[in-house]
Amino acid sequence: MTSVELTAGDVARWALHAGLPLPDERRPDVAAVANHIHSVIHTLRELDFGETPPAAAYTVEGVAADAAL
Amino acid sequence: MQPFELTLAEAATALEDRTLSPVELTESVLERIGAVEERLGAYVTVTEEAARSSAARAEREIADGRYRGPLHGIPFGLKDMIDAAGMPTTASSRVRDGHLAQTDSTVTHHLSAAGGVLLGKTHTHEFAYGLTTPQTRNAWSQEHVAGGSSGGSAVAVAAGEAAFALGTDTGGSIRVPAALNGTVGLKPTYGLVSRHGVTALSWSLDHVGPLTRTVRDAALVLSALVGHDPQDPASLRTAPSTYPLPPGGGDMSGLRIGVPVNYYFDRVAPDVEAAVREALTQMTDMGAELVEVEIPMTRYIQPTHWGLMVPEATAYHERTLRSVPELYGPDVRILLEAGELVSAGDYLRAQRSRTLMRQAWLRLFDRIDVLAAPTVPMTAAKRDQQTVQWPDGTTEGVAEAYVRLSSPANITGLPALSLPAGRDQAGLPIGLQLIGRPLEEATLLRAGHAYESARHPIDLGAAVAGT
Repeated sequence: MTSVELTAGDVARWALHAGLPLPDERRPDVAAVANHIHSVIHTLRELDFGETPPAAAYTVEGVAADAAL
Repeated sequence: MQPFELTLAEAATALEDRTLSPVELTESVLERIGAVEERLGAYVTVTEEAARSSAARAEREIADGRYRGPLHGIPFGLKDMIDAAGMPTTASSRVRDGHLAQTDSTVTHHLSAAGGVLLGKTHTHEFAYGLTTPQTRNAWSQEHVAGGSSGGSAVAVAAGEAAFALGTDTGGSIRVPAALNGTVGLKPTYGLVSRHGVTALSWSLDHVGPLTRTVRDAALVLSALVGHDPQDPASLRTAPSTYPLPPGGGDMSGLRIGVPVNYYFDRVAPDVEAAVREALTQMTDMGAELVEVEIPMTRYIQPTHWGLMVPEATAYHERTLRSVPELYGPDVRILLEAGELVSAGDYLRAQRSRTLMRQAWLRLFDRIDVLAAPTVPMTAAKRDQQTVQWPDGTTEGVAEAYVRLSSPANITGLPALSLPAGRDQAGLPIGLQLIGRPLEEATLLRAGHAYESARHPIDLGAAVAGT
């Protein structure tokens, strides 16, 4: 499974898309950290989740949160 | 022995018997802070006059026969992520300049109601987003890191600057500094202790818990913290309200202790592994049964932890990252910025992986009662050390190494206790971690208490650093 590295320019555009303008001088360092984070979490794509729901669960008010972790 | 050297339980007994007064105890701890704080840097703020006033009130109440319980008149510190009315919650960050908490957090309210004496606020790695707490020095060696992010709380407790303290734990931030400073640290079950009024790092991973010098002390503090809080959406409705321990050490007869055959002893310093394996041998001598277990899904622990924490932290800081980015420290700012590039798909994959991981971990506990492992793979790093070289040829960042063995309990929400288990050849503390089933803090505390009671006092958290 391949992971595409983002360039400093890609990171600037993506950050701006998220509403965060990045000054020119920060782009290479942020790109390096973002690529490192991505290289780690990208591994989750190997998992076949099937019907597995996300752990975050909506709880209707009044229904007890319990210890069924 | 001076009053500041007493464990919480010892001080509580003396206060109840009136052989020690809350004012004497608080003055002793304040003097201790005055003597060592310049060297250690555990506190952001020490509120001496407020502490004296609280101690005087506790003294009057106890003298009048209105003893509230074991925390009455006991001086404590709060990690500066936790609100106390009328005080700033700085999160050890310039971003919080001018902040003032209007009300107590739920845990502060509980400790106040129990009669505790608030000494002040302890340093955190900025916004709890790091594992070293650079403002603070290790209680046993100034050349070494305090660990983090609850570094100030751990050092304050280890050095006698507080009888106990509270910390927060998102990937290990109570247990890591507890291990590195030779104290006890307890990360409770997710949802057992309210986070209302506590600055978030990552909502789905954050926990609040005690740092103490003994396991018995941790049980006493936990008893004061638990209880359903409708103001924390994750707060559990059903939980034990007290955590009693036997008067002696007790034993471990019948306790099935899981010993990992993978992950927890990989890339671990030899002194740390030897100390933990020796602890396991001692536990078998005390009646425990050791059961080898394989840790599930280890390849996905760090990806899941990062996939949850990184985008949640960035979301929490969305406004201030845009309005005052220059006020963050460089290490935290760049993580928050890079977190903007984690997609919703990445986050959902981490949440789905978490579902699988906690199911697999619960199955693990069909065969065991407690999992025993190192808390951290190495003792305290030098303050300027950035990476660790392991014998297998790999290089690991210090922060990544420190969080590696503690983050599974944050992902799964399982309770985890760190307690002292000896020293390395340089004299730095080693931490033993016990992980249990949801809401089985009592099992961890009983096992930890039995173990620490059987050890020589020098290896207990009760030994105060620098005395």
